Amino acid sequence: MRTIFIILMLGLINFSGFAQCKGFTKKECVPHIKPFTYNGQLNMAVLNPGDIAELIVTFYKGQDYRLFVCSQENLGKVEFKLLDSDRNTIFYNKEHDLVNYWDFHSNATQQLIVQVRVPALEEDLPVVPSGCVSILVGFKE
Amino acid sequence: MKTFIISLTFLSFLLLIGCNSQQNQLSTDTDTTSLVKDTVHANRVKKIFYNVPSPIEMSSVIQRSGAVFRGDVLCSYKNVEKYTTPSKQAIMLGVYGADLSYVRLFEQIQTAINYLSSIKKLCDVIDIPQEQGSLAIQRMEKNIDNKDSLLQIISETYAATDSYLKDNGRGNTATFVILGGWVESLYIASQIADYNNPSNKEIIDRIGEQKYSLSNMIELIKAYPEDKELQSYVQPLEDLKKVYEEVNIEYVKGEVKTDPSKKLTTIYSVAKVEIKKETFEKIKTLAKQIRINLIKY
Repeated sequence: MRTIFIILMLGLINFSGFAQCKGFTKKECVPHIKPFTYNGQLNMAVLNPGDIAELIVTFYKGQDYRLFVCSQENLGKVEFKLLDSDRNTIFYNKEHDLVNYWDFHSNATQQLIVQVRVPALEEDLPVVPSGCVSILVGFKE
Repeated sequence: MKTFIISLTFLSFLLLIGCNSQQNQLSTDTDTTSLVKDTVHANRVKKIFYNVPSPIEMSSVIQRSGAVFRGDVLCSYKNVEKYTTPSKQAIMLGVYGADLSYVRLFEQIQTAINYLSSIKKLCDVIDIPQEQGSLAIQRMEKNIDNKDSLLQIISETYAATDSYLKDNGRGNTATFVILGGWVESLYIASQIADYNNPSNKEIIDRIGEQKYSLSNMIELIKAYPEDKELQSYVQPLEDLKKVYEEVNIEYVKGEVKTDPSKKLTTIYSVAKVEIKKETFEKIKTLAKQIRINLIKY
C-alpha cells in the first residue's frame, strides 16, 4: 500500500510539471529579450534530461533576431542550436560556453529550426528531474 | 488507513488534471513536418513548436515601401460586440491587433484609440486577466502618441494574452488569435501592394515569403484536432498553400560568420522570390476570401 502511495506521489510530481510552469516564461524569460521585441508566441515545454524540443521559425531578410532559451535551474545548462532547413548547424551554443541567448542577422528570408536539448544525467537519480524550457524569439524593427 | 485512502483519492484526481493539461502538449508529438529528417530523429524530439510572424513584423515592410495609409482595408472596430462566440472573439483579437499594428505605423492616433477600445473589450470577454490585457492597454492609452512605446505595449499585450491562454490549457484559443492576426496581415499587405509599382517589390516579396509561414500556420492548427471549428480553417489554408506552390523562392546558401564579442551570427545567404502577377492575384483573392470568412459574425 505504502509502495503504491509513493509511486503515485512520484507520478504526480511528473504530471504536475506543466502546472509548475505557469507564468514561468512571462516572469523569468520575457524581460531578457529586450531590447528586441518579443514575437509574442509562447514556446514552452516541460522537459526531462536528454529531451529535445524544436521550434520552426522564419527569419526575414535584413531583420535582426534574438533567440533566448530559458530553463529552470534544476535542468542544468541547456544546449541550443540554430539549424537551416537541411539541418546544417548555423550556430551551437556549446561552442560559446552554453550561453542562453544569441543574436542573428539573415541576408535572406528562410525557414530555420531552433533545436534545444536538455543535457542527459551523468548519473542515475532516484527521481528524474523535469523542468520548464522556453524558447523566445525577439526581433528588431 | 482512512487518511491514506483520502490522500489516494486526492492524488488520483490531481493526476487526472495533470493528464488533461498535458493533452495539447503531447498532441504535437505525432505531427510530421517536412523538416523532420527521419523516424529516429522524430522519436527523440519531444515537442515541436511552430511560429508565424507577428503582425508587427509584417507591417514594418509596409512602412518601408512608402505606402500611404488606407483606412478602407481595415476591419471595422465598431462591430466588436457582434462577435459573440469565444472563437470569433479570439479571431477578432488577432485581427484588430493586426489592424492596430498597421495604424500605428502611420500615427493615426484617433483610429488607434478606437482599435484599442475594441481590443480591450475582447480581452475582457475572453477572460484575459486585467493585468495582462486591459491594464496593459490602459498604459497604451497614456502613451498613445509615442510610436515606440506603442510597439512595446502592443507586443506585451499579445505576448501576455498568448502566454495566459496557453498556460491555462486554452492553446486552441491562442491559435485563433494568431490565425486572425496572420490572415489580416496578409490581407492588408495584398490589398495595398501594387504589383506593377517597383517601390512595392519588398511587400510583394514579403507576401511571397509567407509560403513558409503558411505551412507553420497549418501545423499550428493541426495541433488541436479536437477543435472542429479551428480545423475548418485547414482546408482554405491548404487551398492557399496550393497557390503558393507557384511561388518560387531560389535560395543560395552563403557563408555564416560569428562574432563572439557581439554574440552575433550573420547568415550571408541569398534568396530570390519569384511571384508572377497571376499568382499574386490568386493569393490576394484567396486571402480576401479567408478573411471574409474569419470576420463574419
